[in-house]
Amino acid sequence: MRRLAAALAVGLVALALLAGLLSLPEPGAPDSPAQRHVSAAYVEGGAEAGGAANLVTAVLLNYRGLDTFGEVLVIFSALLAVLVVLAGAPESEPDQAATRLAPSPVVAFIVRLTAPFMAAFAAFVMISGAELPGGGFQGGVVLGAMAILLAVAMGRERVTDALQGGARFWVRAAAPLTFVLVATIGFATTGWWFGLPGPGPWRDALVLALDIGIGIGGAAVLAGIFLALSRR
Amino acid sequence: METVLAHLDYVAVAVVFCTGLYILLARQNLLKKLIGLNIMETAVFAFIVTTGMVDDGDPPLLAGDLGPAFASPLPHALVLTGIVVAVSMTSLALALIVRIHCEHGTIELDELLDRDGS
Repeated sequence: MRRLAAALAVGLVALALLAGLLSLPEPGAPDSPAQRHVSAAYVEGGAEAGGAANLVTAVLLNYRGLDTFGEVLVIFSALLAVLVVLAGAPESEPDQAATRLAPSPVVAFIVRLTAPFMAAFAAFVMISGAELPGGGFQGGVVLGAMAILLAVAMGRERVTDALQGGARFWVRAAAPLTFVLVATIGFATTGWWFGLPGPGPWRDALVLALDIGIGIGGAAVLAGIFLALSRR
Repeated sequence: METVLAHLDYVAVAVVFCTGLYILLARQNLLKKLIGLNIMETAVFAFIVTTGMVDDGDPPLLAGDLGPAFASPLPHALVLTGIVVAVSMTSLALALIVRIHCEHGTIELDELLDRDGS
């Protein structure tokens, strides 16, 4: 009964969706609305106005820096909310924890062997985000995945012990803090918040700092969420 | 029929979206509902990225050779923001599901509602 009702509702939604989607401009048309207006202006301005040869990075960190600031705040608040929700929950039973399958020595060895390369790749993705596909978030996800793999293969204590108490909090808050710092520098140099100075080494340095800050903060937040969830 | 073929990318998006919506509505398991929600999000992201595509267009990287057409950078940046928000939402939902399991011992919605009513 429930499945029939669900199928009917989905069918209605599908009809409405198709009616809307089929009346849109064909995908790939060069004159569709997504290609005009501000997008055209962003491509027109190019690396000179945007601050990065990778225009996606330019949109993210320069044209729409305030949006991205909200974005890093959202993921930081998500970590805080996860910690709060799980704070009152009882720890899992010790015998239950003991029956969890330990990863084989082969897996643990491979993870340990490849972890430095994952970290190096994450750093490359973060640093080259201004010119090549990549950026702070992408690098942060790679770094976070490395931390999660290490926690699975070598025990979560090895990862949680890497950062103690206060330092752990500051690293997790790295992304919003970097953004506040860069926004303040922009206010001091250009007169408006989240403004970046004109083309030159200073702007490149600020974009790089943003990418690295977002990457490290994002990785710490992802690893923190995983560690909090895996404790139960 | 010709219109459908020309918009085949969008039709695929609608199929993925409806798959997620059906899982969200029909399944009672909270974890499966969350997976359905994530499939719907994926469809929305695919749709937004597809609107930014240009036939024979280059990625919006100005450091390489300048081609005649560029994919629009704005949808990519918006979807990146959307993915981060989706990850935040998924993690919070997972935490809530873990907490519900701790408190009630089940994550089946009908069992939870039955217990609430009795």
